[in-house]
Amino acid sequence: MSLFSVKLMQSVIVFFALLSFASLANRPEFEVELKNHLFYPAEIEIPANTKVKLVIYNRDTTPEEFDSFDLNREKVIFPQKKSVIFIGPLPPGRYKFFGEFNPNSAQGTIIVVPKKSVADTNIETLALVYTAPLAANSLLLKEVLHVN
Amino acid sequence: MNFLIFKKLTRFSFLLLILSAFSALTCQVALADGVVVDKVYHPYVLPNEQEFEWRMLSHQNDAGNSLGQRIAYGKSITDNVMIEFYIVGERDKDGDFGLSAYEVETRWMMTDQGEYWADWGLSLEVEKVHELDIWEVTTGLLFEKEFGRDSLALNAFLIYESGSDIKNEFETEFRLQYRYRWLPQVQPAIEIYIGQDYTGIGPTFMGIQRFDGQKQLKWELGFITGLNGDDKDHILRASIEYEF
Repeated sequence: MSLFSVKLMQSVIVFFALLSFASLANRPEFEVELKNHLFYPAEIEIPANTKVKLVIYNRDTTPEEFDSFDLNREKVIFPQKKSVIFIGPLPPGRYKFFGEFNPNSAQGTIIVVPKKSVADTNIETLALVYTAPLAANSLLLKEVLHVN
Repeated sequence: MNFLIFKKLTRFSFLLLILSAFSALTCQVALADGVVVDKVYHPYVLPNEQEFEWRMLSHQNDAGNSLGQRIAYGKSITDNVMIEFYIVGERDKDGDFGLSAYEVETRWMMTDQGEYWADWGLSLEVEKVHELDIWEVTTGLLFEKEFGRDSLALNAFLIYESGSDIKNEFETEFRLQYRYRWLPQVQPAIEIYIGQDYTGIGPTFMGIQRFDGQKQLKWELGFITGLNGDDKDHILRASIEYEF
């Protein structure tokens, strides 16, 4: 093997490795539960053209295998454990999935919608939404206590 | 619209870049003495999985026809490592079909599917030729990248052959598969195999039929044409894999 080939091989591998392992920060996360061989929720909306992390909790006492030809994913979820499945980036559309061990009951759909339509699950936004009224209530309570 | 065209062009350029990089890589290296065409591996392993596999390869060239078959049993030993045992049979020059080699193979799924920009795996194979002192140790880098409903799989192998019945040497092999996931049962693909004295390309069809639980049947059928200047150089490859 020539020196050129070795160097080229190294460069190609390093290039792909760097590209592959580049951190894709701030991946939106969605949670799904598997109970009595049913997915909750059975329909999950995710933003288009975005890689998302789907965390599936298997509350059953038997293993399940998440399977989807549409999503090109297959993953075993052990009983009473959680499993992470990375999905996307995908164009808008409906992508079906099912549990291989209970295909008649364990069924679900990933609905990929344009970004603006997705319920905002960003933690900072959620924090603002929930803490602002709490803070306001707290101030109001203080004022009431102060007056009395 | 312009953005879509740009995206398609970028993807095409990217594929060309990969193809040219791997072609350049193989133009000065030696190929394994055996047939390069075999199977393009994917870097995925599922826990609790067992499989039986049968592969057939019929090579027709100016020298005649040669036939190789292998049967295998594989089992995942951890969440991301699978081990597979092969028995290889070949038809010899007298036309007799018999045992020719044994092989142990392990595959390690290094990254979760879809976790990063591409998926990576490693393979390690040790093969011993029957009744001859010929050993072959192969390490392979397995790569797969999704482009919507298309998947590109690349395998790069570094092989070391040793033993008193063969010249000790390093060799390399490259395999590429570009697959369109049309239907579970029918997925057309183009495959390229590159090594010393051999470059082959051809269409392949594959599919999967699911049964109860983890039971499923995978099939592959490919027709690879050698581009080495021989008048006739065709390989028909087939494989059936039963997972349970």
